Amino acid sequence: MKSRYEAAKNVFIDSIDIGDYIELDSSTSAYKQLEHSMDKPLKMILLFGKPGTGKSILLNRIHNKLKNQREIHYFDTPAINEKEFFHKLFKVLTKKDLPNNTEVNFSALVNFCKNLRGKREIIILLDEAQMYGPEMMEKIRLFSDSRAVKFVVSLHKTEDEDLIAKEHFQSRIWEVIELKNASKEDQSKYIHKKLLKKNLFEVANAIKDKDLKLIHTFTKGNYRECNKLLFTLFEICEYYDKNDPSKINYEHMPKRIIEMAALKLGYIHV
Amino acid sequence: MYDIKPLEEEWKKYKKKKRRPWFVLIFSIFLILLISLTFLNYKEIDFIKFYDMSKAEIVTNKSTTLLIDKALTALEIKKPKASEVRQIAEIEPMTVTSNENASIEIVEDLPISEDLGTIKEPRVNIETTTIQEPRKKMHLEIIETTSVSAYKDVAKRFHQSHDTDDSLFLAKSYYRKGNYKKAEYWAFQTNKVNGNIEESWLIFAKSKVKLGRKNEAINILTAYIKRSNSTEAISLLYKIKKGIL
Repeated sequence: MKSRYEAAKNVFIDSIDIGDYIELDSSTSAYKQLEHSMDKPLKMILLFGKPGTGKSILLNRIHNKLKNQREIHYFDTPAINEKEFFHKLFKVLTKKDLPNNTEVNFSALVNFCKNLRGKREIIILLDEAQMYGPEMMEKIRLFSDSRAVKFVVSLHKTEDEDLIAKEHFQSRIWEVIELKNASKEDQSKYIHKKLLKKNLFEVANAIKDKDLKLIHTFTKGNYRECNKLLFTLFEICEYYDKNDPSKINYEHMPKRIIEMAALKLGYIHV
Repeated sequence: MYDIKPLEEEWKKYKKKKRRPWFVLIFSIFLILLISLTFLNYKEIDFIKFYDMSKAEIVTNKSTTLLIDKALTALEIKKPKASEVRQIAEIEPMTVTSNENASIEIVEDLPISEDLGTIKEPRVNIETTTIQEPRKKMHLEIIETTSVSAYKDVAKRFHQSHDTDDSLFLAKSYYRKGNYKKAEYWAFQTNKVNGNIEESWLIFAKSKVKLGRKNEAINILTAYIKRSNSTEAISLLYKIKKGIL
């Protein structure tokens, strides 16, 4: 027989699937801010925050929502090299494929962009932009200067990345949207909504307020860490449910199991 | 999930580690309580001993002061300064010379045994009589304390402030107690500071009579009457002369 915890565990598989997106006050606010920024005549928008704060899913969501209304492109994985990036960009701008053995003439492409000004408005969502080197970022900035291409650059928040932002974008017209870890309330809503979305009402009900507080303490409100912890938590529950049901309480999530999951993931140590 | 057993073990260790500070805290509290209780018990015994000892000390001190009245005697031995004497001589030359000699004699001759007899008894008398004196709050303080040290305090205070209220009080108190030598001394001290206090002159003269120096008393009173024309002094002089004091 399939354990109820198996379904619960799968709810928390970390993904940027738009179907898994949970509407929260903070995420809705960030979404609206980004949407509003994209309407402004900005060349570059910087979206930054710690890993696991929901940058990728936000870009994915905005892409999905606007792809039929505007010329918007989502570069989810960074290009391995400059050549690959320009091939992708060439395709977006000219709507034509380039043969693999062909090099893109950078200055010609920039000029092409300049000619597009006033005719088309292209938005490119660049995820994991910290993977692009400073030289690459400089070239991206030149494309954005054409005012035909708008870039939404998503970066992890670290000292180095802040440096990149300073060096390359400070003098440009740009806007910064920072995503932060969830508050206890937001994280609690996130967990419950995720479970309820899959009709796991009983499981959601077994996680009480003090459990949510403990989860928030361990994960510090990070969505990715929260997903990891809950996945492990339901994995342990699934094991007990199948092998040793006496060790599990269906009405209330035992604190012991939350702590065991935290131990396994290294949030706490012996 | 295949590694559940090691995870359970790890959790048990974690729980033990988490509980350790609580155990330490409880143990520390228990230890502190134990030490405090032991200390308190020890202190209590010690305190009782100490209390008994201090009590005994108080009793002995009291008895010695009652018997000897050292401080008062020491104060009295102090010879008045020549300048002060001269000042008084200007006011009443005759009286002063005789008084000065007399007071020094009184003090030097002061027998301790006589003091013992006089101080021991009439403590209650002081209280009742001084209560009737509404003029001086200071008297009430002494009544409350009812100890010889209070007289010493007043005497000490007089030597610091030269307040005639203090010296006159002492003169009156000693006179009532029958300690005429001290009464005479304190009346003399009062007169030295202020020669216009009639009550002080009267006590001075009466004390001299009681000490068997009738002529001196008559001389003093005559001089005072000449100066002040006091009816009280005249009446007292009459009584002295008639021998009905």
